[in-house]
Amino acid sequence: MENDIVRHLSTKLSSYPEWKHHATLLDWQSDFYRFYNSETNYNITKRNLSLDVTLYKGKRSFSFSIDDPAPAKIDRSLACALAIIDSLPEDPDFVDLETDQTVKPAKPKPNNVELLNLDSKISILNEISRVADKHGFDLFGTFICNYQHTRLINSNGLDKEQWASPIYFEVKAVRRSNQVTVLQTFGGERFDRFDLHDWMAELEHKLILAGLEVVDVEPGEYEVILAPRCAAEFLQYLSHGMSAHSYDQKNSYFQNSLGQQVFPPNITIRDDPEDEDIISFDYNDDGHVYRPLTLVDQGVFQNFLCGNYYAYKTGLRKNGNTGSCLVLQSGDADMDSMIRSVRKGLYISSLHYMNFINPKETTVTGLTRDGTFLIEDGVITKVVNNLRYTEKIARIFESITALERQGQTTPFSGNYEFFDITSSKTPHVLVSKFNITSSTRTI
Amino acid sequence: MKHKILEILNKLNTPGITFADARITRTDQEHIYFQNGFMRGYNSSLDSLALGIRVLIDGCWGFAGTRQFSAASIERTIKKATSNAVHGSKFQKHKVAFSPIRPVLADQDCRPDLNPFQMPTDEKIARLQKIAELIKPRNQIVYSYCYGVFFRQEKYYGSTEGTLTSQSYFNALPTMSVLASDGNQVQSRTWPGHFAAGRGGFELFDQHGFEANTQRIMKEAVDLLSAPGVDDEKADLIIGGGHLALQLHESIGHATEADRIFGMEISYAGKTFIKPEMIGSLRYGSDVINVYSDSTDSRGLGSHPVDDEGVPGRRIDIIKNGILVNQQTSRDIAARLGLQPSSNMRASYGDDFPLVRMTNLCLAPASGSLDDLIAETEKGYLVDFTKTWSIDDNRNNFQFTTEIGWKIKNGRIVGIVKEPTYYGITTEFWNACDRICGPQEWKYHGTFHCGKGEPGQIMQLSHGVAPARFRNVVVNVKA
Repeated sequence: MENDIVRHLSTKLSSYPEWKHHATLLDWQSDFYRFYNSETNYNITKRNLSLDVTLYKGKRSFSFSIDDPAPAKIDRSLACALAIIDSLPEDPDFVDLETDQTVKPAKPKPNNVELLNLDSKISILNEISRVADKHGFDLFGTFICNYQHTRLINSNGLDKEQWASPIYFEVKAVRRSNQVTVLQTFGGERFDRFDLHDWMAELEHKLILAGLEVVDVEPGEYEVILAPRCAAEFLQYLSHGMSAHSYDQKNSYFQNSLGQQVFPPNITIRDDPEDEDIISFDYNDDGHVYRPLTLVDQGVFQNFLCGNYYAYKTGLRKNGNTGSCLVLQSGDADMDSMIRSVRKGLYISSLHYMNFINPKETTVTGLTRDGTFLIEDGVITKVVNNLRYTEKIARIFESITALERQGQTTPFSGNYEFFDITSSKTPHVLVSKFNITSSTRTI
Repeated sequence: MKHKILEILNKLNTPGITFADARITRTDQEHIYFQNGFMRGYNSSLDSLALGIRVLIDGCWGFAGTRQFSAASIERTIKKATSNAVHGSKFQKHKVAFSPIRPVLADQDCRPDLNPFQMPTDEKIARLQKIAELIKPRNQIVYSYCYGVFFRQEKYYGSTEGTLTSQSYFNALPTMSVLASDGNQVQSRTWPGHFAAGRGGFELFDQHGFEANTQRIMKEAVDLLSAPGVDDEKADLIIGGGHLALQLHESIGHATEADRIFGMEISYAGKTFIKPEMIGSLRYGSDVINVYSDSTDSRGLGSHPVDDEGVPGRRIDIIKNGILVNQQTSRDIAARLGLQPSSNMRASYGDDFPLVRMTNLCLAPASGSLDDLIAETEKGYLVDFTKTWSIDDNRNNFQFTTEIGWKIKNGRIVGIVKEPTYYGITTEFWNACDRICGPQEWKYHGTFHCGKGEPGQIMQLSHGVAPARFRNVVVNVKA
């Protein structure tokens, strides 16, 4: 089917040698289980085959998207493009299409939508639910498997394909008596790396902590331990400033920082599709091969994330990376010693609704959620209401004094556009200064 | 399409299935984008068909969606929806249940003044190009863009209760923005702001006065580079309509989506501070606060003949004279709360699962003009044009930054301030509202991008508001 579509498109386009083209054919499916109050909310199954095509004639371009791209639909869209394209203005910044011909060995992945069916998911949840119930908690969350096959072609001879089979399993255990919530997640593409026994033991430890007294704390500067999920989210926001797009807008925190020491030497950041815990990509959307790239090496800023267009536009070196596989290199600390080292501070499990106030300065505001804890004299002593922070992310990374020995993978879903799942890998980090600006007064 | 819906429903009219509905959407979209004076993209997606089938079996929902319309694909989708309900019910305590409603047969067709899908391409491009050239980077303006997103959707809905409806409408999102830099910092100004979308077509560009405001936003962006920040601890704030729409959206709109009361959104969008026992008694705001949800008003992006589970469009009061009196609900949730369903179940496309969503959620106007309100304000700020927004997962603690603020002294505007940021707790904030402008200032403000649910859906919806004043708000937030 896919080959027929690509063949039909290529045959049609061969009649217009003056046109260039880039096309993406995506076969995507999702099995999306959502639960609440330790019961099913709904299960959604979706499948779609879609074709996105951009045509170029000289410096003019026109794009179209087709769902369920039968030959007749492709012909109609091409006829429409043919009628329009000459009337469009030229883009003086037009850049020739991707020329990178590097092909990684084809790696079809097991289809987790089929391997992890609804009954398997419910069976796992029943086990977790029994443990949660024992402590007075109900389960809320999602258990998602996607499977996608992407074919990328362009008129420069590029023809590549890649597979993704991400799993996103997230459990929020909510205490029935007072709504205190803790979070436990698994993400990646290999469910054989999921150890239910260890995973439940970790969750149960959190359930016990969630039984502590709930208090409020005053605004101010705190020493904090950020859970891997928080570190990953701050890292993703920081990476906006590492994009060549941001550099082109003169809106990057790293605008004049190539080769400069921007963070302490304990900070090394990579965009690494080859890390075995990461949801990996072989190519970016243009078809450029996706390779490991060091962004910050021992605190020194090394590279912008730069694709075909912005390499031409900015003169930055093209690497094809997009920041979809971010890894913050782990350190040598263990969690117990990190907690023991804090006299009065906070453990933050997860973040909510973060937004930039000023991207160039990396100033953001957002909130904590799903388990914020007070640390006193090296021991977690209380649950804290959710808190608002207003901080510069750069200052957070400047203030990291310790990193845990191993990283954890956090899956993220793209909820504002195509439902994609990516991941980042980060350890727990100890931050000496973190600015809490108010309390939500709720848990 | 109605024929196809009926065919599907016929297959689902079996004794084991308590209720089923099917939706088909046919969607056209165009996105025309100019950057730094030049066209960077013309994207078109036409005739995109999506089908969703939802079934209720043994009190459990099952859903499947597809964009492939072959007979075999539709058959697979029916089977998968059914199988999802059967297997999902193995992990269930509460059985979804609701009262039947009288079948609705209705067709609604809203057409714009300027149909963007029938306008000559040359004309659309020329008009956008003119705006793009007016805001082209020069001097301290380093980046600019303008775009139009044009959306047309036909929706066909049917249920096993006998409801069968169709709806067709056009929405548009016009926007322009400039970025100014002095080498150290950057400041932005957009027009007509964050909630720029509306029901209609290309005429929205004229209604918002794009060309007339290009010089204004460029000057303001440059002036902001040298403008002072806010240095008060607390201040009276007059919030302009564009930003007040977002304030209403985040701290009343999402907070009164009743699926949050039952934790159905904990896994992503969050909960609400509202508890069932607060309905009818909670003083949400001052006496001047009247908020209603109105899916019957065809001027807004959220109007419909029936919602996506067959409830006819309605206008209901959510907050009456400051008291919380109702919620936005689904049929199941309304039954649990002892309320009538509010006609707020919506899905973005046919293959999306319907969720409790805002439609046209409005703050009723009171009296007076914005000029009067400024003149009556001794000391404070007028803030508008959203820059940053954030609210906690109980919808209780919010913090917003606008692109620009105007300092008010003795009833007059005396200068601008950059990045005014304020923070508040929802009910305290709405109780601090002492004045809302009148009908002459009241307008709909719309968005294409309200995110909720998993898999994520972005919804188009509107808020009708007039500028309002809030007393003694915390404005000293600093990073």
